[in-house]
Amino acid sequence: MHIMEGFLPWQWCLVWWIIAIPFIVMGVLELRKLLKQDREYLPLLGVCGAFIFILSALKLPSVTGSCSHPTGTGLSVMCFKPYITAVIGFVVLLFQALLLAHGGLSTLGANMVSMAIGGPIVGYLVYKLLKNTSVNIFVTVFCVAAVADIITYVITSFELAVAYPAAVGGIAASFGAFFAIFAITQVPLSILEGLVLALVFKYILELKPDVIEKLGVFSKEQIDKALGTPDAAPKKV
Amino acid sequence: MFEHRKLEILTLIGVIVFVVLFMYVSSQSGHEFSGSDDVGSEKIAELTGKPVDSFTPLIPQYEPPSGEIESTLFALQATFGGVIVGLVIGYWLGQKKRPERA
Repeated sequence: MHIMEGFLPWQWCLVWWIIAIPFIVMGVLELRKLLKQDREYLPLLGVCGAFIFILSALKLPSVTGSCSHPTGTGLSVMCFKPYITAVIGFVVLLFQALLLAHGGLSTLGANMVSMAIGGPIVGYLVYKLLKNTSVNIFVTVFCVAAVADIITYVITSFELAVAYPAAVGGIAASFGAFFAIFAITQVPLSILEGLVLALVFKYILELKPDVIEKLGVFSKEQIDKALGTPDAAPKKV
Repeated sequence: MFEHRKLEILTLIGVIVFVVLFMYVSSQSGHEFSGSDDVGSEKIAELTGKPVDSFTPLIPQYEPPSGEIESTLFALQATFGGVIVGLVIGYWLGQKKRPERA
């Protein structure tokens, strides 16, 4: 989903940067508030951020014969909401722009809007939608992670399409062309990412159900049901 | 005994299906497995009618001199994440084993 440095006209770079900056500012403010509130959230924040680092470093081959990155933003957006996720995404993208020539400083705004902001926000909406239904919470995590991943690539396609409308068919035709490259490659990867993050979330729940409950991600009843411990009786060691 | 391991099994099946599909696709000729970022860049060049090389960075940029160095940096990125995950999970496990501190 990285738009390479130099591949976006400067006007568009500016537009996406202007959209991205408020999210970073809000994210930093929220992050400070959260950590002042309770240091107990720091390890969970670390794990959520770490998975963005790990997954976005993996260029996985897809069935379409090209390679692409998962994004890993689903966990973070569920636990810490979109603003904080935007900050973590920004750090990862900055690292890749400065050292890896994946994306660049001018296109960083656009890449943030797709991977660190847009994808996670849509994932968050999915979470909101499924949260209070009877849907199993691991299914919810799967959906959030997979949707955040795939939408990231939809947005990248859109960003490129508005900057480079096709001579015939305009923005729509060009969107279709980019979508075919990015998003189709991404479908199998996002399914895999959804499965992996659901599994990770299960282990987090087994170890620290109280933190997830305190953050209000899921209610105690939902967590107990998912873990299959109806009265949450401590296991005999 | 597999009742609590449904998700693990499902993930394993997902990974296996993914690998099998990959092996099938890579056995067919004509797939380079190049990065979709690069394919995207080529598409931009095609749409604008300008060669890929004519897109020069707006802001000067460091580029890893070779694929080896690039893969090192990517590995470092993943290592960093892996270390944090291991650290936190270990920390939590340790907390769980110890009796609750009042």
